[in-house]
Amino acid sequence: MAVALARKTLLHEWRRFLPAVMSVGFSGVLIIVQGALLLGIVGTNALPVTQSSADLWIGFPGTQSADLGRSIDAGVSAELLVDPRVVRVEPFLMGTGDWRGPRGGGISVTLLGIDTRPDGLGLAKALSPGTRALLEEPATVLVDAGDRDKLATAVGEAAEINGQRVRVVGTTNDMRAMGGVNVVASLATVRAIDKSLAAADNVTYYLVGLRSPEAATTVRNRFSQHENRTRFEVWTAADLAERSVRYWLLESGAGVGFIFATIVALLVGILITSQTLMAAVAASTPQYATLRAIGVSFPKLRRIVVEQAGWVGAVGLAFGLAGSLFAALLARLNGIPFALGPGIMVLSGGLVLAVALLAGLLALRRLRHADPAALLR
Amino acid sequence: MTPEISLSAGALSKSYVVQNIRTQALSDVSLTLHPGELSLISGPSGCGKSTLLSLMSGLSRPDQGWVHALGVDLGRLDDAKRDAFRLAHCGFVFQGFNLFPALNALEQVQIVLDYQGVPHSQAQRGAARALEMVGLGHRRHLRPAELSGGEKQRVAIARAIVKRPRLLFADEPTSALDSTNGAAVTDLLREIAHRSSAIVVCVSHDPRLIARADRVLEMEDGRLRHDRRGRSGLSFKEISP
Ligand SMILES: Nc1ncnc2c1ncn2[C@@H]1O[C@H](COP(=O)(O)OP(=O)(O)O)[C@@H](O)[C@H]1O
Ligand SMILES: [Mg+2]
Repeated sequence: MAVALARKTLLHEWRRFLPAVMSVGFSGVLIIVQGALLLGIVGTNALPVTQSSADLWIGFPGTQSADLGRSIDAGVSAELLVDPRVVRVEPFLMGTGDWRGPRGGGISVTLLGIDTRPDGLGLAKALSPGTRALLEEPATVLVDAGDRDKLATAVGEAAEINGQRVRVVGTTNDMRAMGGVNVVASLATVRAIDKSLAAADNVTYYLVGLRSPEAATTVRNRFSQHENRTRFEVWTAADLAERSVRYWLLESGAGVGFIFATIVALLVGILITSQTLMAAVAASTPQYATLRAIGVSFPKLRRIVVEQAGWVGAVGLAFGLAGSLFAALLARLNGIPFALGPGIMVLSGGLVLAVALLAGLLALRRLRHADPAALLR
Repeated sequence: MTPEISLSAGALSKSYVVQNIRTQALSDVSLTLHPGELSLISGPSGCGKSTLLSLMSGLSRPDQGWVHALGVDLGRLDDAKRDAFRLAHCGFVFQGFNLFPALNALEQVQIVLDYQGVPHSQAQRGAARALEMVGLGHRRHLRPAELSGGEKQRVAIARAIVKRPRLLFADEPTSALDSTNGAAVTDLLREIAHRSSAIVVCVSHDPRLIARADRVLEMEDGRLRHDRRGRSGLSFKEISP
């Protein structure tokens, strides 16, 4: 193996390269943490979808986000069941209410009404079958563990929603919404509390379970024929979740804020990293010029600088990912929605490596000073 | 002496323009240098010695005149070909030692062979041998910060000779050294010239080196004034085949 000049210089003069590594790492952390927080917060609007195990969702045509559902025609249910690939169809209700706890607090809540059968699809991932069964008793509700303070009500205590008395019988997991409170109840309880849903043929969504989930797209396409378009719309669960997240990213302006802050983080990263690499090139100019004198071509010198930039990027990225995992841990311990998925990690990894390489390319201009004739004076 | 293995220049002129002021660094210089001897180009500071070296080694181009090195007309080569020519044939020693702080002596020397595409183990052996030649075999694992000035210049010489160049150029190699180390480095360059039958050109304004060269070319004001054999020129004739 040839003498690893780029790597040896990096190790030997690590103090010189440290600011670049740190700035790359911080850019990475900033992008990942911001992105994960944003996706986590915006993603809470899709919680009814992501926490349920339905393959297809049927709702009001043109619904932009899961939390903005409107009533649809209850007759749809029978039409759906005709398809042999459909094994079950269950209603899902979304209503609103005004919560008053025993220790005060008037707060609006979102009512989520689900089928309480043990194998029900609605919010299957947020409720254990035992908790689900508790809702069969009329006028009982579940709240999220993280919302108990906000609602000023403990498990076992009673509260009022829209003036109707309810009892908190348990808690849900991971149903905490940002900017709202999710309260889960049976279909009957929700209809009793939110008068706009009182009629039995009033349904916000139908959840569809298929014999094989792979058939989701085909079945959706079958029910998306033209004559149905004005009555209801069919989405796969993933579609509706993604549509909800996208809607709130654009609607809230948080997406734009994220992009702006990311650009700032990248620019600062490029600036600091390129300055560091330029200083490193400048410090080695006579050595590089000596290599030029003995006939080492300019592109080969370029490779040294680009390789250094690559190492700075890789090490900085490793620090950045470690920092982000630590942030994810803190978020988890504090119940903050933090969606640290592979997508955001790959995105920020790519951006951060691009920062380092771009900085390396900027630093290359300094190599022009490595003129061997300048060593002869 | 066949013309192919010499380094000749004819009617070389070079001027620099800085802020509209033209400096004639070199005027109509012609000379032929031969293998197996240490040629010293001497003269006061600013007389054009380094400029001459730069032109003869193909690092820069003359305004007028020509350079034939090892039978190749350097003026006809484009930049990439001149790079390739230097990579194949030229070694350099500069006033500053220009060693990479992160590399030990062996690596400083080995990297030259790496860039020539020599396989690793062979490059390592070659580098070790070059360090032995300059008397630093036992210091091969030290970095520049752990070497004295004289030792650093000897590493630089090892780096210059490791590829067994047929042309070796040294620009003021002793001016950063005390007189003992300076004399040792000059003797080393002469020894290399005699043993390897390379063309060795050393530029210096240090008159103490004159006695140690085989041939002395004296410059003044961008022109060659004297060309004479030093005392050791006789011994050169005895050694060389
Ligand atoms: N790159 C350059 N730009 C401008 N002037 C230069 C340059 N190189 C050399 N000179 C001028 O050319 C003259 C000869 O310089 P040089 O060959 O370096 O002399 P020496 O090596 O004998 O001291 C000096 O007057 C010097 O200032
Ligand atoms: Mg000079």
